[in-house]
Amino acid sequence: MMDAWLDALTLSAGYNTRLVTLGALLLGAAAGMVGSHVLLRKRALISDAVSHATLPGLAAAFILIALVQGDGRWLPGLLLGAAASAALGLAAVQAMSRHTRLGEDSAIGAVLSVFFGLGVVLLTVIQAMPVAGQAGLSGYLVGATAGMLASEAYLLGAMALGLLVALVILRRTLLLLCFDPEHAWTQGVDLRRADAWLLGLLLAVTVVGLRVTGLILIVALTIIPPVTARFWTDRPHALLMIAAVAGALAGYLGVTLSSVHPRLPSGALVVLAAFALFLASLLIAPRRGLLAHLIDRYRFVRRVHCRQGLLALARGEAIFDPTTLRILHRLGHIRRDGLATAQGRAAARDARHEERLWTHYRHAYPEEAAQLGARRLEPISRLLPPDLIDELERRLPPEAPHE
Amino acid sequence: MNEPLDPTTSPLAIQGLTVSYGERLALLGVDFVTPPGRLSAIVGPNGAGKSTLLKAALGILPRVAGDLLVRGRPLPQPPRHIAYVPQRSSIDWDFPATALDLVLMGLYGRLRWWQPTRRRHRHWARECLARVGMEAFAGTQIGRLSGGQQQRIFLARALAQQAELLLLDEPFAGVDAATERAIIELFRAFRTQGGSVLCVHHDLATVRDYFDHLLLLDVEVVAAGPVAEVFTAANLQQTYGGRLTAAQLARLLPVTEAFRP
Repeated sequence: MMDAWLDALTLSAGYNTRLVTLGALLLGAAAGMVGSHVLLRKRALISDAVSHATLPGLAAAFILIALVQGDGRWLPGLLLGAAASAALGLAAVQAMSRHTRLGEDSAIGAVLSVFFGLGVVLLTVIQAMPVAGQAGLSGYLVGATAGMLASEAYLLGAMALGLLVALVILRRTLLLLCFDPEHAWTQGVDLRRADAWLLGLLLAVTVVGLRVTGLILIVALTIIPPVTARFWTDRPHALLMIAAVAGALAGYLGVTLSSVHPRLPSGALVVLAAFALFLASLLIAPRRGLLAHLIDRYRFVRRVHCRQGLLALARGEAIFDPTTLRILHRLGHIRRDGLATAQGRAAARDARHEERLWTHYRHAYPEEAAQLGARRLEPISRLLPPDLIDELERRLPPEAPHE
Repeated sequence: MNEPLDPTTSPLAIQGLTVSYGERLALLGVDFVTPPGRLSAIVGPNGAGKSTLLKAALGILPRVAGDLLVRGRPLPQPPRHIAYVPQRSSIDWDFPATALDLVLMGLYGRLRWWQPTRRRHRHWARECLARVGMEAFAGTQIGRLSGGQQQRIFLARALAQQAELLLLDEPFAGVDAATERAIIELFRAFRTQGGSVLCVHHDLATVRDYFDHLLLLDVEVVAAGPVAEVFTAANLQQTYGGRLTAAQLARLLPVTEAFRP
């Protein structure tokens, strides 16, 4: 089994598997990028409505195709049906949140359940029909790449590639839209059209993903990769890139795993792979991961000890806390007997000055200071712009005679 | 009383602007000609429609009636000669962006999709950050900045756009004194280069020091014109519906003016 997976991973498990794997890779990248925008636009829930709203269209298309040719499994037709009903669902959500007092979240809930309910009824109808291919439909719920035809894989891959191209073209428009719509308008972004593009891309990703992850799980592929990426970066384009890589990796791992055994649903495996990446990021990402937080916490405590110790030195007070003593000694601020070194005396004067500047700033601008409060032990030159520090220095009250 | 301003030289002239939210009128028949090369303030009570005026003047909000003119011509869409600085609270400051990214977004309007963001763009963005004293914070995530610092990088984004008119929504709200001074110095430098500023302002005490031209707004225009003519006890009382006390007015106005019956 391990060998089979290795074959799939190295793209040597046969022509079809290779095609499907590449397709899933592209799909994952596109989903990660579209998902990043949707998440930044604060509309992550809407992808749930889109995906569930594909079901009635999918089922209706299957019935129509089956009536014409006896077997409903014709991918382009099914995708078209899915896209049509998803678009209808989106329009319903938009109309409800615009023209009624319902918020978008309630509208999403209503549309999601009604469309999905209708789809389930149609699926039951299909089970009773005397046609072939009904069993294949369950693959659209949780994903089934194992039995995919080469022509289907080509279609999906080409669509995913088209999506990526569209995302590159629209990268600045979508970013402006997500960050500050009013400013975006003054920069020439047509807000309605940009939002329509975003939802259109989301719809397209959902439809392309139907066969790979299934309609229930595609949501995970649009949400988990950007959330994963957020752990690694504070910059917008990097977020998109990392989300794309995380999505692609999830698609790649999931689909290759599912090729090992034909009964393993690819959607579930893709989502689990995405989750594994998320979990790893949550733990080890620098700056934002849990491990980094622990290290930050440790450093913060050390900084507090150091600052307190230096302030005590500046006031000529004795230090009793052993941790403080150890830290100051290790930094070379005090000798083994607890007396300050020359370097320690200089550092103590600096610390005292920083502390007075900060206190003055805090008294003058309490709100501003509260916003920076978590970082107050960083050097003040990293916290405040130079002209403000100048101003604080000028207005600093003369130091009280040594107490 | 007011010198007639020529709308054909103005970077933004507003004529008969009426805006409503549903059936509630936010602005009614507002006429205002932004004087070129001047610092203008919009002052009025809460709910007077100050922010609405800015957004409607940019075409962001739909108008029930009214015309927007730039040097006698209809306002182009997008209005690239205007840089808009929204209220600080309108932004998600957790957004994955650094100060430099935010300033770079001021350049996106002019970059086509096939043009990459080049070194000279980043260089220009850094220069704009330097002009507001924030170059040391280029790589800082925007949510880690204080309110005054956030206002400064907003201003840097507006500078990056190289506009001739700045529209700002309460840039002095909740900022420290050094930032306030930095902003006003920037305004004055901008005016020297021929730029104009139209700014929603909430602090009556600084209107006379900071601005040349004033629009007193309370859904309708109460008065508009040079600060020296318009900033009077009678006009202020009318704008604020008589809610200002004699003591408040005395602090705001020159002695002779406040005690005039």
